[in-house]
Formats: sequence, structure tokens, C-alpha cells
Amino acid sequence: MLRVLLVTDTDKPIGDLRDALARLGYDMLAGTTTSQALHRRVESERPDVIIIDTESPSRDTLEQLAVMKATAPRPVLMFSNDANQQLIRDAVSAGVTAYLVEGLATEKLAPILEVALARFAQESQLRERLAEVENELAERKLIDRAKRLLMDQQKLAEHAAYASLRKRAMNQGVKLAEIARQIVEAADLPK
Amino acid sequence: MNQPAPLTPPSAPTRLEKTHLRLGFVSLADAAPLVAAKLLEFGHAHGLTLELSRQPSWAALRDKLLAGELDAAHALYGLPYGVQLGLGGPQTDMAVLMVLNRNGQAITLSNRLADALAEQRTLPQALATLGRKPVFAQTFPTGTHAMWLYYWLASQGVHPLRDIESVVIPPPQMVPALAEDRLDGLCVGEPWNAAAEARGVGRTIAYSSEIWPDHPEKVLACRRDFVSRHPNTARALVQTLLEACRWLDGPGHRNEIARWLVRPEFIGIDEALIARRLTRDSVSPESNRLPVRFFEDGTVNYPRAADGVWFLTQYERWGMIARRDDYREIAAAINQTQLYREAAHSIGIAIPAETASQVLIDGRVWDGSDPREYANGFEIRA
Repeated sequence: MLRVLLVTDTDKPIGDLRDALARLGYDMLAGTTTSQALHRRVESERPDVIIIDTESPSRDTLEQLAVMKATAPRPVLMFSNDANQQLIRDAVSAGVTAYLVEGLATEKLAPILEVALARFAQESQLRERLAEVENELAERKLIDRAKRLLMDQQKLAEHAAYASLRKRAMNQGVKLAEIARQIVEAADLPK
Repeated sequence: MNQPAPLTPPSAPTRLEKTHLRLGFVSLADAAPLVAAKLLEFGHAHGLTLELSRQPSWAALRDKLLAGELDAAHALYGLPYGVQLGLGGPQTDMAVLMVLNRNGQAITLSNRLADALAEQRTLPQALATLGRKPVFAQTFPTGTHAMWLYYWLASQGVHPLRDIESVVIPPPQMVPALAEDRLDGLCVGEPWNAAAEARGVGRTIAYSSEIWPDHPEKVLACRRDFVSRHPNTARALVQTLLEACRWLDGPGHRNEIARWLVRPEFIGIDEALIARRLTRDSVSPESNRLPVRFFEDGTVNYPRAADGVWFLTQYERWGMIARRDDYREIAAAINQTQLYREAAHSIGIAIPAETASQVLIDGRVWDGSDPREYANGFEIRA
């Protein structure tokens, strides 16, 4: 079975990717801590496939081996057939980069990428959702505070305060939350 | 701050194919031209909006250039050539629009090795005292630091492919690696050599300018089809970066840019470290310890094909490519000299005369005339 090295030196959460690949029968090599250790691991253990975060600073360590050692895996940016082209694109969007030894059919990479993609994408989607929800909450609080300020300062009823906010937002061409931010900051209140 | 007035009247505005450009860079002090271009918005006068995108590795920068996520980038001189030849990775036609800087890199040794060198006098003897196969780090296999390191080692009688282990590790990891005795030497850009010295874990013993005085270092690179599809935009981009490079030569501007480069979104390291090696005071005017150069009336920036041919001879020397006869053609296709001439002319920047022969640290002369003879003439090679 293929020898796979999973490099996890960024904080990108990958869940149980390692176990998932092991369950599929891939020979998972032990991880490393530093880029230097990665260099030694690739040289001595000769993985067929390396999966690494697209944004990992250790990628250049792998590039050195790809150029200088004929047996080292090379970066895969393209696949031969159309279905796999999309897979590569999706993988890169999810932040997965693969290195593959020369002579190995690129199709063999596909199942590994599918699994990696599912883990990376899931985690990044989850994180995006979380960030969105947090942002929405923060904006609602801000708008609420601004509304209350207008009600107090200008003796407005709630619906009138909202209308005032909306009018200002339209005039300035910005989000309601931005107007709210301006009002709250001007009143010098802690956010 | 004053921007210099254009020396020739602006030509009639040409329609730009693209106006919003994403430029990649890696966290090194010599990304200064791109940072200055963005902060001072030099692009506006030429119809461009610039967006900078910091990349965590040269491989990521290359991939994004190829995928079109970046329009152009601050790149190691050799990087586009490696991609052009498909060395260990993807192959695409590449372009060099201009040179961004010359000099500014260095070789730093561990204290242990620096001491041994001072005692033993020759590098092979000093390396022998280490009690292990020496480990040297650089930044990218086809890049500048690898070539400076290998050339320097060979000039000192050390075979870079046999006598040492050459690894690439990210520059921020180089300093702890030296401290923990995992590295014996390295070749990298600033501020990383300065950082190693400041933390007391290494000594800078050679400047890249001592290896090849006024060597090309970083370039503004892009895919060749970016140039063919967006020639007006490419020209405007060169004009923009030329003005940024010119600004860097202005009084006090290096210290100013250093204050920006320390920010975490750029480099995130001590300002004094960056400023020290960015300023134009030569450390040793009698020797070849030359300052980093960004403009010098345009003598820095002309994309000379012969510079590229030198890199190709070195790739052959180290067994990275098989010998071939078309180095000049490859370099001529990559270097966008005509486009550069047009851009420079339109903002009153002179094209430098072709350089005379250059003498490198081992005494060999490079004048671009006979790459075959030059490549064959090295004793230490693959």
C-alpha cells in the first residue's frame, strides 16, 4: 500500500484525517516537528505521497528534495483527466497540497485527496460558519446599542430609531452595523 | 514626503486591460519595493490599484502565480527560471519584468563554525572539526540563496553536493536551528542574518555581494501570458515599481520603510534589525561588502538576460538540468526587456549600459559571452 506522510505543522484542524487514511489501508508515516526533521524523514522513509497544508512554511523544504533527489515526491498542481482536475482545485481551495513520487499514477492520489478534502473542507467550513455567527452576534449587539443611544439622546421610539439608522446607512452607502459603530464610537462608550 | 516630478511629460493615457492587481511577496526586507508601492499608492498615477498578498513559502507564491491568484510577485531571481524548465515541479512560460534589488543577502555560520574558521583558516579544515556532516540551509532549490551558498562553498574548496547536507528551512526556523546546533551555516536574506547575530547564535561571515558584486536578487515575476494578455497593465506595473524603487533611494526613506516592514503583516521583527541592513552605508567600502541596492538611477532594475544565463549555467553545474544549448534563448524569452525599456523611458529613467565583465569570488569572469565554456570551466560540479 502507498506510504503517506501527513505534514501537520500549521494550525489548520484536520480532525481524524490520519486515522481515516490509516483505516483505508494507507501506510501512515510518523509526523515531524521541524522542517529539518521533515527533510530527514522524507529522505530516509521515502513516502510515495505527502499531504501538506498549502500555507505551510515547510513546503519549500519539500521543494528542495523534489529538485535535488530523483526519488522524492513532486508537487501536484494538475491531474490528467477532467474529473481529477476539479478535485485538485477543490483540494487547493480547502488548503490541501499533495506531493507525489514520479512514476506513480496520479489517479492513485485521488482517494487520498477526497478524504483530505472532506476533513479540511469540513473543518474550514465549520470555522467559517462559527466566524460568521460570531460576527452576526457582534453586529446585532452594536446595532442594539446604537438604537438605544438614539432613543435616549433624541427621545425616539424604537421604530423611529431604527428608521434613523437605516436612513443614515442608505445615505452613506454602508451597512447598518457600520452606522451603529460610528454612533457608538462617537458616544465614547466601550463596545 | 515629496515625490519627484516626472522628467518627461506623461504620455497619452493608454487603456489598461486590468486595473486591480494582486502582488505576492515573502517576508524579507527586500520586499520593500512592493510595500512602498502599496503604502504610497504609486500605482494610482498609472491607473493601478495594488493589493499585496503575503505568502508563507516560495512554493505557495509560485503555485498562486501559476493558478492566476496572483498577478505578479516579488520572487527569487531563479524561481521563474526553475518553473520555465519544470525543475522538480510544474512547468509554465514565465516572465521577469524587472529586477527589484541587488545584493542584500549573506552567509551566516554558527558560532562554533565561525570560531573554527577563524582558527583553521580554510573552510574544509574548519568543517572537519564539527564531527558530523555539516548542515547548511538555504531558501529554495532554484533560488538565489542556494546558488550563492553553493558558489561560495565551492570557492572555499567545499563540494556543496558531497561535503555538506543542503536543506531548505523557513528563515524564521534558521535562528533556533543555529541556536540548537542543528545547523552549521545558512544563506538567507535580511533581516534573518542580522537576527542570528543579534540573538548571539551566529556570525555573518560573507555578504552575497562578495560572491558576485551587484548580483541580481529579487525580481518582479509573472506568467508570460500575463504580459501577452495585459501588456499595458504590465508596463504600468513596471512604472509603478520603478517609482517605488526610486523612492527607496530618497533620504531617510529606508528607515521609514523599515518602520513599516516590522509590522506583523509584513515581516514582524525588530525594526532596528531591518533598518541596519537596509541602509545605504556600506559596511566596508574597500571590500565588496556592498549595500542592498534598489534603484541607483535605474542601473539596478534593467532585466538583463545575461543574468539569467548565469543561473542556467549553475543549474547545469549542480546537475539540476542536463546540458543544453539554448540558455540565451530561454533567458531572452523570460526577460521582458522591451517592455521594460518602454516603461522606463516613459518616466524618464535611463537604460544602463551593458555591464562589463563581472569577476566573482573565485576569480572567474562572467560576461555572458560563452555560457558553454563558462559552465564547463568549474572544477567543483555535479
